[in-house]
Amino acid sequence: MSYPQTNSLLAKVNIRYLRPSFWLQCVFILLLALVLFGPIMNLLIWTVTESWYFPHALPSQWGFKYWQQVFNPYSDVSGSLFTSLLIAVLTVVVCLIVSIPAGYALSKRSMPFRIFWMLLFLIPQAFPNLTVYMNIARLFYDFGLNGTLLGVIIVHSVHGLMFSIWISVAAFSSTDPMLERASRNLGAGPFYTFFHIVLPQAAPGLIASSIFVFLESLDEFTGTFFVGSPNITTLPLLLYTASMEGNYQIASITALILLVPSILFMVIIHKFMKPEMLSKLGK
Amino acid sequence: MAHLHIQNLQAGYGKKLILDKINLTVEQGEMIALLGPSGCGKTTLLNALCGFVPVSGGEIFAGSRSVSQLPAEKRNITMVFQSYALWPHMTVAQNIGYGLKVQKAKRAEINRRVSELLSIVKLEGLEDEKVTALSGGQRQRVALARALAIRPDVLVLDEPLSNLDAKVRLSVRHEIKALQKQLGFTSLIVTHDQEEALVMADRIAVLNQGKIEQIGTPEEIYHHPSTPFVADFMGAENHIKWPTHDDAFRLNTSNPAAELDLYFRSENAVLATPQAASKDDLNAGLIIHGHVEQSVFFGNNYQISVRCGKHTIQADHDQNLSENTPVTLSVPNNALHAFDKEGKLVAHQKNHAVSVKSMRMNHVC
Repeated sequence: MSYPQTNSLLAKVNIRYLRPSFWLQCVFILLLALVLFGPIMNLLIWTVTESWYFPHALPSQWGFKYWQQVFNPYSDVSGSLFTSLLIAVLTVVVCLIVSIPAGYALSKRSMPFRIFWMLLFLIPQAFPNLTVYMNIARLFYDFGLNGTLLGVIIVHSVHGLMFSIWISVAAFSSTDPMLERASRNLGAGPFYTFFHIVLPQAAPGLIASSIFVFLESLDEFTGTFFVGSPNITTLPLLLYTASMEGNYQIASITALILLVPSILFMVIIHKFMKPEMLSKLGK
Repeated sequence: MAHLHIQNLQAGYGKKLILDKINLTVEQGEMIALLGPSGCGKTTLLNALCGFVPVSGGEIFAGSRSVSQLPAEKRNITMVFQSYALWPHMTVAQNIGYGLKVQKAKRAEINRRVSELLSIVKLEGLEDEKVTALSGGQRQRVALARALAIRPDVLVLDEPLSNLDAKVRLSVRHEIKALQKQLGFTSLIVTHDQEEALVMADRIAVLNQGKIEQIGTPEEIYHHPSTPFVADFMGAENHIKWPTHDDAFRLNTSNPAAELDLYFRSENAVLATPQAASKDDLNAGLIIHGHVEQSVFFGNNYQISVRCGKHTIQADHDQNLSENTPVTLSVPNNALHAFDKEGKLVAHQKNHAVSVKSMRMNHVC
């Protein structure tokens, strides 16, 4: 009996807003935003907090005291930042040395057992991290590699090789074989051709893979924890210790520092990753 | 530049033999076109010459050197690739100078040679451009200059014009020909376009299924095809199996029972309507009566499909004709390519088979 009234209302208000699906969408978007940005907001607040006690919704004292503490040249943070960067750079170097020849070889269809070799580099990822790294740590004791920079770099490289091999195979596969032929045709030998023609063509993909390896190494925790500690302290290890001690300010600021390379990476990857290369991934 | 001599060449991928017993000699300063449909093995032949496909039998000589077992970089036979295969990370000058840089030539000498080549291919002022910024025609010329820079013994071109649009193609084709005359390079050009081959080449080799069907000057190939395949491929698309057992067809031969394959071009089929009856029947080798099925405007003339029995014959005519007009086609003896059934070979055997009148025809064939 109230039909006429409803109709006039519907006419006034756009009918779209009354559909349940519209509100459902709103709720989902809000939830998603909360899930995505909630923890980050919390982290950001912690970085500028000096004191924050349990029942309060917001900190009682704001300030940059802990930033000074973190960026003090004598703090643990700058030391472990340096260690982290050193390990990451060396890991990238090791991965490139292995994956450039391996990626080129595996990009050739004529390579025997091609799929087998590629899967081989995935195997360490197939098992739970913890077991793999515990066993590596056990092995490394015999060689005296525990607690050394070399040991940590090896562990990080095993992890990084998965990315660098698979991406460099894709990078080398997406190069035009005719360009190689043209070079041989003009009198260049296979090595000259590789360094002057093939490598520059694959360089964007190799840079992308290096960035992946660099970031993975920078964020790596489990392996470093088992193999490196207590002598090697990287940023993630420091972050772990700080959080365990309840020092959320230091932990949050460290996390922010770790965020910087990731954002830089997003920008660079956007520039270097070609769609035609992505389509060759795993082929 | 030196002459190229191919002897009994066999090559293929894996166990599949693509080229079988190829014999070909390219004289110094000569341009030979390898003409054939796709899949006939012409690109494989170039790849075998350049060392990209292993040679399983026979020999290749560039000058007096045997190159068939040398690696690609030692052959001194350079290629202009179908896709040009220019290196996108290099400038025009770096692309052209690459071969000299590989030979460790001095920088000044490389620069001199590069600017010389740039002026030859008319690309002065573009030396510092990235090749990706060039048009198709310009890329083509860079590819040509790059291949010529190291003064190869032989230059091979793999469908160099197929990636260009029609208008650019015509001008580039004349440019390449003019350059070839000017510089006198020994070259092999692969094409599937008969017109391109006729215009550019000194001699043409027609390839079919990995074998050379016929080698000859453009005139020989065009006017005197030696096999039905060559006749058909060179544009004699009208094909009649003789005898037709049909009164609409009349062949001037003393031996009408001889089995023949007749080929002729649409431009050689003289079409006459009943009003303008034809005069010299004597010269005509083949006379066909039929009806117009379709008439298509081709710019300078009309192509008319004539229906006669189970055959449809194409003929050129200067006027549009309405459907079902009765017409008479006559093909002169010298434009009629006749092949006998068994050997597919032409002249000699048929001289016996066919009469005096068709002797003239066969003589031409």
